[in-house]
Amino acid sequence: MTDAKFLLFFFCAAIALAGAIGTIASKLPLRAAMSLLVTIIALAGLYLTLDAQLLAAIQVLVYAGAVVVLFVFVIMLIGPAPETSSAPGSVVWRMLSLVGIAMITATFAFSFVDVASTWVAPPAGFGTVRGVAGEMYTKALVPFEIVAMTLTTAIVGALAIARSKTASELAEMKRRRVAEDASAAAQPAE
Amino acid sequence: MDNLAILWIVLLPLAGAIINGLAGRFADRKLVALVAVGSVLGAFALAVSSFLELTHLKAEGVEDPRLVADVYQWFTVSLPSATGAFREVPIQVRFVFDSLSGLMTLVVTGIGSLIHIYSLEYMSEEKSYARFFAYLNLFTASMLILVLASSLPLMFVGWEGVGLCSYLLIGFWYETPAYAAAGRKAFVANRIGDFGVLVGMFALVMVAGSFEFTDINSASPEMTAPMVFGGSALEMSIATFACLFLFLGCTGKSAQIPLYVWLPDAMAGPTPVSALIHAATMVTAGVYLCCRLSPVFLQTPSAMEVIAVIGALTAFLGATIAVVQREMKKILAYSTVSQLGFMFAAVGVGAFASGFFHVFTHAFFKACLFLGAGAVMHAVHAHGDADIFKLGGLKKHLPLVRWTFLLSCLAIAGVPGFSGFFSKDEVLLGATTVAMVETPIAPWVGWVVAILLTLAATLTAFYMFRLYYLTFTGTYRSGEGAHADGEHAEGEDADDHGHDDHGHGYDPHPHKPGIAIGLALTVLAAGAVFAGLLGLPHHWLPNWWHHWMEPSIAGLALSEEASHAMGPVWAAMGMGVLAMAVGVGLATVQYRDKNEDTFTASLPKGLFSFLFDKWRVDELYGATIIRLNKGIAVLSGRLDKSFIDGLLTGLTSKAVALGSFLFTRIQVGVVHAYGLVMVIGLLGLGWWFLYPHAELEVETDGAAATLQAGRGLGYEYRFDLDGDGAYDVPAQPTRVTVRFEQGATGAQLLRAGMRVRAAISPEPWPADRAALGRLVSQRGGKTYELTPPLTRLDDVRAALEGSEGIASVRFEAVAGAARFAREARAEARYDEGQFATDRAALLIAQGRAEPIRILLGTSPTRIDPSVLGPNGLGVREEGTNLPPYAWVEDGKVVIRPNAAGAVIAGQEPVERVELGVGEATRLGMAMVRAAPVVRATVEVRNAFGNVARESVDVILEGASASARAQLVPSSLHPIEVLR
Amino acid sequence: MELGLGAYLTFASVLFGIGAVGFLVRRNALVQLMSIELMLNSVNVVLVAANRFHPDNHAGQVFAFFVIAVAAAEAAVGLAILIALYRLNRNIETDRAHVLKH
Repeated sequence: MTDAKFLLFFFCAAIALAGAIGTIASKLPLRAAMSLLVTIIALAGLYLTLDAQLLAAIQVLVYAGAVVVLFVFVIMLIGPAPETSSAPGSVVWRMLSLVGIAMITATFAFSFVDVASTWVAPPAGFGTVRGVAGEMYTKALVPFEIVAMTLTTAIVGALAIARSKTASELAEMKRRRVAEDASAAAQPAE
Repeated sequence: MDNLAILWIVLLPLAGAIINGLAGRFADRKLVALVAVGSVLGAFALAVSSFLELTHLKAEGVEDPRLVADVYQWFTVSLPSATGAFREVPIQVRFVFDSLSGLMTLVVTGIGSLIHIYSLEYMSEEKSYARFFAYLNLFTASMLILVLASSLPLMFVGWEGVGLCSYLLIGFWYETPAYAAAGRKAFVANRIGDFGVLVGMFALVMVAGSFEFTDINSASPEMTAPMVFGGSALEMSIATFACLFLFLGCTGKSAQIPLYVWLPDAMAGPTPVSALIHAATMVTAGVYLCCRLSPVFLQTPSAMEVIAVIGALTAFLGATIAVVQREMKKILAYSTVSQLGFMFAAVGVGAFASGFFHVFTHAFFKACLFLGAGAVMHAVHAHGDADIFKLGGLKKHLPLVRWTFLLSCLAIAGVPGFSGFFSKDEVLLGATTVAMVETPIAPWVGWVVAILLTLAATLTAFYMFRLYYLTFTGTYRSGEGAHADGEHAEGEDADDHGHDDHGHGYDPHPHKPGIAIGLALTVLAAGAVFAGLLGLPHHWLPNWWHHWMEPSIAGLALSEEASHAMGPVWAAMGMGVLAMAVGVGLATVQYRDKNEDTFTASLPKGLFSFLFDKWRVDELYGATIIRLNKGIAVLSGRLDKSFIDGLLTGLTSKAVALGSFLFTRIQVGVVHAYGLVMVIGLLGLGWWFLYPHAELEVETDGAAATLQAGRGLGYEYRFDLDGDGAYDVPAQPTRVTVRFEQGATGAQLLRAGMRVRAAISPEPWPADRAALGRLVSQRGGKTYELTPPLTRLDDVRAALEGSEGIASVRFEAVAGAARFAREARAEARYDEGQFATDRAALLIAQGRAEPIRILLGTSPTRIDPSVLGPNGLGVREEGTNLPPYAWVEDGKVVIRPNAAGAVIAGQEPVERVELGVGEATRLGMAMVRAAPVVRATVEVRNAFGNVARESVDVILEGASASARAQLVPSSLHPIEVLR
Repeated sequence: MELGLGAYLTFASVLFGIGAVGFLVRRNALVQLMSIELMLNSVNVVLVAANRFHPDNHAGQVFAFFVIAVAAAEAAVGLAILIALYRLNRNIETDRAHVLKH
């Protein structure tokens, strides 16, 4: 491994971790989204140290360009809602979870430090568009098509869930609620 | 199937029952009547033709003529034979038409036909017409099965069948709760009796080894052996035991003390039912059973004495109660109880044929009396029963009924020339014979029976003519008659199960019965008059009856002179005629042309009410048995509520409630709490993946051992097979086979533990220790000298010494390629010469396939004395029975069989036994052999570099005595005992 | 220090831990969704790194590509649900969304 790669790894890893901590620690959602953006771009740098050029590009395009933008849209839609006070009991659970996750992370991280490996020279075309795409459109064609359908379904589902009610639907709901109230009033209190 | 006609005798009424039962309610009444009467008449016709065939055979000189219909094999039962081996005994559905069952079949079908015809008119206004006839046909079929059955189980089918029909017909008018209760009472009383029949049947079958009557009767001489019950012999013979239990069944079915109480209540049913079932046929089933098994009964005079006394007492009791009753059917019911007592008294004194003769004649006159009573009730429109004090003078209105009734009264009273006279005379003759002639039965029984029966006969004659005069003479009162005993009787009637529907006026213009009733009455009256001619006194006249019954009914064996002694004959005839004369005379004086009950009213008040209340037996049962039963029921109910519902169910439900309460607490609804649970799961999963699991298992085969480690992703394995702490093979993911040359590097590589190996007997020891050898010492416990095990030991030695120690080790990673080994197995074959260890095992073979293995170290290990066999170790002195110990010392296994010194198989006591590797000896009852033990270890390493180790002691059971192994003292390892 | 697969795995596990903590500790549904993205990304790092050290094929990278695609779909649906939740509750606090408890 070259020194440049070595430096790039540490640079990107440090930025990514900082961004991740920023993501989960920010009070304001918009700041969290921006931190996530930093992490994602740093990860794209890490992919470069791993000779995954195409994936680095996709990371920036899809995550930074689409997912984070989607987050920002939603934040703008909802507005900067500050956190209210926690529900009773919720804090204890969250602190216990924090401790447990810290233990797991520490165990795994320390176990992984010693995992031995050697850098072998990648074959020509490793991680390039030609290399990845050649495999994706041959060996992984069926999963690729399935993922395509999954994305379509997700978009339709997201629309169905998030769209606001039409005027006629709202009227229908109101009519029904009035009818229910009337029938409830008609029955004597038990 | 030899004789189809016999089968059809049973099948015709059964078919009638099925047709009428299933389709009768939709059919026309005429059709129902045709099916019902036609089927029984058909059966009667077949019975008559079969009977003629039988008489034909008899005339040809056949000893025991019989017609057999072998239908099919019902099922088989495993019975132990005399040798203790079990054999299959078939139970056949087979009908036998012989002299006894043939005559009974004639009675059942003949009287049955008449009563069916009678019922056509009597039940004409009944709405459940088809149901009645279906039941009646079913009863006829069941009764015929009972009579014609060739074996006890099949007879029991009929026995239960008639019981069922009796229950159904008593409760025929089940809308009236009292009638339904009467049906239940009959059913319950019969159930008690049925239990007796079953027990008696089993006792007989165990001896006879067959269910057939003929086999049981021919096996009867063997039944004088004492009854063995629960392993201990009772003070009674099998015959007594069986006969007493069978008689318990008869008391239920044939209404004897103490189970007779159901019969008077059974009059709740329609009158034809009372005539057919509760007078003529079903209630005589008990007598029939006794006659069928008469050879068995004759084996047990003591049981017969019991039967005779109970029968006579029942006869007397029934007669006394009948004297004061005031309803027609009730008087006749108690009369039936009394007459059944006569029959059992005859059975008890050994006059089986006479008893059955009385069954025969009684069937005619009692059926006629019942039908006559029914005709009276039908004429005056009395429902349920008719009070004789509200009748009277009916001879003008019902001349035919009057004449037939009178003839039957003369018969039952025993007027000479009528049937009852002959049969009752025969019964009394049986009793006086026992009293006056030398027989196996005690004479006092004969006297008691004769006197009681005479009294009963007197009372019978009296109450029958009381009934006749009050009903048919005097003036007709159409139910308005004065009460002889005023309010007393009325009050008693009120709680008399309410089936006496009198006192509210009968039809003032009784109408004459029609053709059907008249026909039945006439035929039966003729039978009542002439049936006795079959059994004329054999001292003067030819007695057809006894001659006919000889093949099928046994009797008391009398000497030649005893059977011709005239004393009993004159005594019996004198007593019978005197009784009749007194009874009839008294009744004529008191009741002729009178409507008042002047006589019974003149009885002492206490005596009268005691008799009127039927000796208060129902009340006695109510206060004792039923109350006890109810008490138990209440107690059980409380127990059920408090213990089962309260404690068991309650606790369980509370525990479940508590559990659900706790589990609902977990469902807090806070997302983060669920997240925490997920984290806990992740912790477990992480542990599983990060740390390997050795899961070492070992399997030994002689001097070779196979070790198997657990599987996991990315595992690498190293094995130490000789216990020296160094791994024999470097960690390699791929398949490696290492071979050690014998004796070369083995010493370094396999410095494995040598173990003493105890002898494993190739076969289990014989279970019978006595067969192993002889008892040589009982001092401080039994000591056996065992001879066969020594040869066995030599065999074992030879087999073990023959095995060559080829040292080889194989190591392989199975299933999984490249770095991701999935599991590993090591196989080692140990060279016997190479072991040097401080650990050994004792293998103790003790009469079982798997030897007991005990691991030893350098410090003494206690051995449970019981593994060396019972009494295996003799104790030198009292109170010093310390357990044996064993340990490894100076390259040998040292055993102190008993700290106080031991006796080994008849030799001199030894304090110390030393065993080299592979050597064996006998300690107590057990073979003990020393075997080397190797401590093998596996080290498993996973992809994360985490390591797990696990060790196991490998006992090399195949090492032989020639092994030059040494046991090196050290105390590195703790001592374990594997069991 | 020799930089190898271990370094990437360690980094990925730390990133995953941060994501998990964010998901479990924060109550804002938006931030929780972002934490999920972090965890998915850490898995992607493992896949790509393992692929780099066994470069015979592109299985790891292709799989990471699929993960990205599914993550995008998840983000779309998740944000839609979030909007629906906001319409209902006027906030997006997950510990207040416990109507289904009963």
